Amino acid sequence: MSPEYLGLILLVALITCIFIGFPIAFTLIILAVVFGYIGFGKVVFFLMFFQTWQIMKEETLAAVPLFIFMGHILEQAGLMERLFLSFQFILARVKGSLFLGVLFVSTIFATATGIIGASVTVMGLLAAPAMMRSRYNTALSAGVITAGGCLGILIPPSVLLVVLGPVVGVSVVQLFAAAIMPGLILSGLYFGYTFVRCQLNPDLGPPLPEEEHPESFFVVIREFFLGIVPLAVVVFAALGSIIAGLATPTEAAAMAALGALLLTALYGRLNWTMLREATLSTLATSSMVLFLAVASNIYGSVFARLGTATLITDTMLALPVSPMAMIIILMAVIFVLGWPLEWPAIVLIFVPIFLPVVEALQSDPDNPLLPGIEPQHAMVWFCTLVAVNLQTAFLSPPVAMAAYYLKGVAPEWELSDIYNGMLQFMVLQVVGLLVVLFYPEVALWLPRVIFGG
Amino acid sequence: MAAENETTSPREEPPKALVMAVQIIDNVVGRGSGLLFAGLVLPMVGGLCYEVFARYLFNAPTIWAYDVTYMLYGSHFMLGAAYTLYKGSHIRTDMLYENFTLRWKGRVDASMYLVFFFPGMLFFMLAGWDEAMHSWGIGERSDASPWRPIIYPFKTVVSIAAALLIIQGFSEFLKSGYAAIKGEKLIEVEPPALRGDII
Repeated sequence: MSPEYLGLILLVALITCIFIGFPIAFTLIILAVVFGYIGFGKVVFFLMFFQTWQIMKEETLAAVPLFIFMGHILEQAGLMERLFLSFQFILARVKGSLFLGVLFVSTIFATATGIIGASVTVMGLLAAPAMMRSRYNTALSAGVITAGGCLGILIPPSVLLVVLGPVVGVSVVQLFAAAIMPGLILSGLYFGYTFVRCQLNPDLGPPLPEEEHPESFFVVIREFFLGIVPLAVVVFAALGSIIAGLATPTEAAAMAALGALLLTALYGRLNWTMLREATLSTLATSSMVLFLAVASNIYGSVFARLGTATLITDTMLALPVSPMAMIIILMAVIFVLGWPLEWPAIVLIFVPIFLPVVEALQSDPDNPLLPGIEPQHAMVWFCTLVAVNLQTAFLSPPVAMAAYYLKGVAPEWELSDIYNGMLQFMVLQVVGLLVVLFYPEVALWLPRVIFGG
Repeated sequence: MAAENETTSPREEPPKALVMAVQIIDNVVGRGSGLLFAGLVLPMVGGLCYEVFARYLFNAPTIWAYDVTYMLYGSHFMLGAAYTLYKGSHIRTDMLYENFTLRWKGRVDASMYLVFFFPGMLFFMLAGWDEAMHSWGIGERSDASPWRPIIYPFKTVVSIAAALLIIQGFSEFLKSGYAAIKGEKLIEVEPPALRGDII
C-alpha cells in the first residue's frame, strides 16, 4: 500500500477514535507514532521530539497562557457586575434594556479577554435573575447571553487567533486587526436584531419596573466611570500597543495581565486564594490547548510526510468548482466539524489540512481566489472566515457548551428555550459569515490601513 | 447523565490500598505538580513587563527576556499537562461519551489508557530522553538569541512532562478500571474544572 493511503487510514482512524471520547491529544500521539513507524520507520521518534520542541519554542504562543491568566483575573475583579449595573441604569427606560445591556457588556469584555465560557457563566449569573424578574422572553435572553459571551473568542485579543496565527503562518497582529470589524459587525447584528424585535413586540423585553431605575443620574455616571474607564484604559493600551507595533502580542498580553492585577488590587479583590485559583485555572486551560497543539503538530507532520496532505490537496483542487465555491465547501466542512469538536481541535488538526488548498487557489495565476490581493492577505481573510465560522460552533445545539454553562447558572430556564434562543443568533452569525465571505474588504480593510500593502 | 443512578445495592468498601495509591498519586503528582508549575505564569508576566519597561523607559532592552519567556511558557504547559489530566480538562469529544454510564465510561477509559495512553506516553518519554541526553552531552546552547543560554534543562522538560503524565495516568487508569468493574466511583474527586473556563 502506498504511504498516501496509509495516511488516509490514519485520518479515518483518528476520526473514529475521537468519537469514542478519550482525550484527543493522547489519541493523536499514539496514532501518529504507530502510523509513522509503519510508513517511514524510526524517524518518527525524532519527528515526535522535533514537533514538540517547535511548539515549546514558539514565543508567540506564550501569549496564550498570558491572555487566559488576564481573563481569569479580570473575571475575579467584579468588573462585569459594575458594567452591567451601569448599563442597566442608563437603559432602564428602553424596551429590551437588559438585552442591550448584556450585549454592551459582552462586547466590551470581548475586547478585554480572549476567552468565552467564563463570560457566559458570569453574564448568566448577573443577567438571568434580572431578566426573569422583569419577565423577559427566555429564548431571547438565553440567545443574547450565549451569543454575546462567545464574542470574546473573536474580538481581539483572542486566544483562538493567537493559536491560529502560527498554525497558518500569518502574523497574529494582522489577524487581530482583521478580526475587529467582523467582530463589531456580529455585535451590531445582535444589537439590531434584539432592538427591532423588542420594538415590534415589547412583551419580549419590557422596560424595567420603577424600583430598578437608578436613584439619581449621579449614580449612573459614577458607576459608569468606576466600572468602565479603568478597564478601557487597560484594554486599549494592550490592543493599541499591539496594533501600533509598540509591543509584540506576547508582551502586550503580559502588560495587560499586569494591568488586570493592578485593577483587581485597586478594587480590593486581590488575595492569595484568588491568585492561586486563577493561576491553577490558567494552567489547566493553557495546557489543554497547548498540549493539544503539540499532539496535533506531531500528527500533522506524520500526515504530511506520508504524502496524504498532498493527496487531499490535489483531489480537492481537481474538483470542478470555482475557487469561491471551494471556500464555501471548506467553510461548510468546518461548520459541520464545529458541531462535535471544540475549536482547538478544528484549528489545530483540520485547518492545516485545508491550508494548502487555499494557498493553491490563491496562487493560481489564471483564476485566483481573490484577484489583486496578496497571498498573505488572502490567508488573513481565510483565518478571519474560520474564526467567524467557529462562532457558530459555540452556539450550535445540542452540543454547544455555552448552553450547559447557562443552564448551570440559570436552572429555571428550559434547555429547549436556551437552544431556541441560540439558534436565532446562529442565523445572525451565518449572515455575518456570508458578509465576510462575499466582502473580503470587511476583514482586509483595517490591516491594510494600519500596515499598508 | 444517567450514570449516577446505576447501582442499587449498598456500596461496598473499595480496597484500602487501592484508594491510598490513587490518593497519593492525585495529591502528590496531580495537585502537587499543578501548584508547583501554575506559578510559572507570574515570572512570565514579570519578565516580559520588565522587558517593555526597560526598552521604553530606560532605553535598555534585555538580552534575556526572549529566551526566558519561551522557556517558562514551554515548561508551564508541558509540566502542567499532568495536572490537566488530573482535573479532567484535556479535550474529549463528549457527544457520545457524555451519555455513557459510569461503567461504560470506565471501560472506554481503562482500555484506552492501556492501548493508547501508556504506549504513546512511553514513546514520548523515551524520544524526549534521547534528545535531552544528547543535549546534556554536548552542553548545547540556544541559538535563538545572542544571549545563548544553556538549553539542555529545557529539553529535559519533555521527558519529565511525559513521566508525570504516566504516573498521573496510572491513577486515572486505576479509577476508570474500578468504575469498569464495579460500576461505581473509586473515590470522589473534585468536580472537573468547567472546560468553559475557556472554550
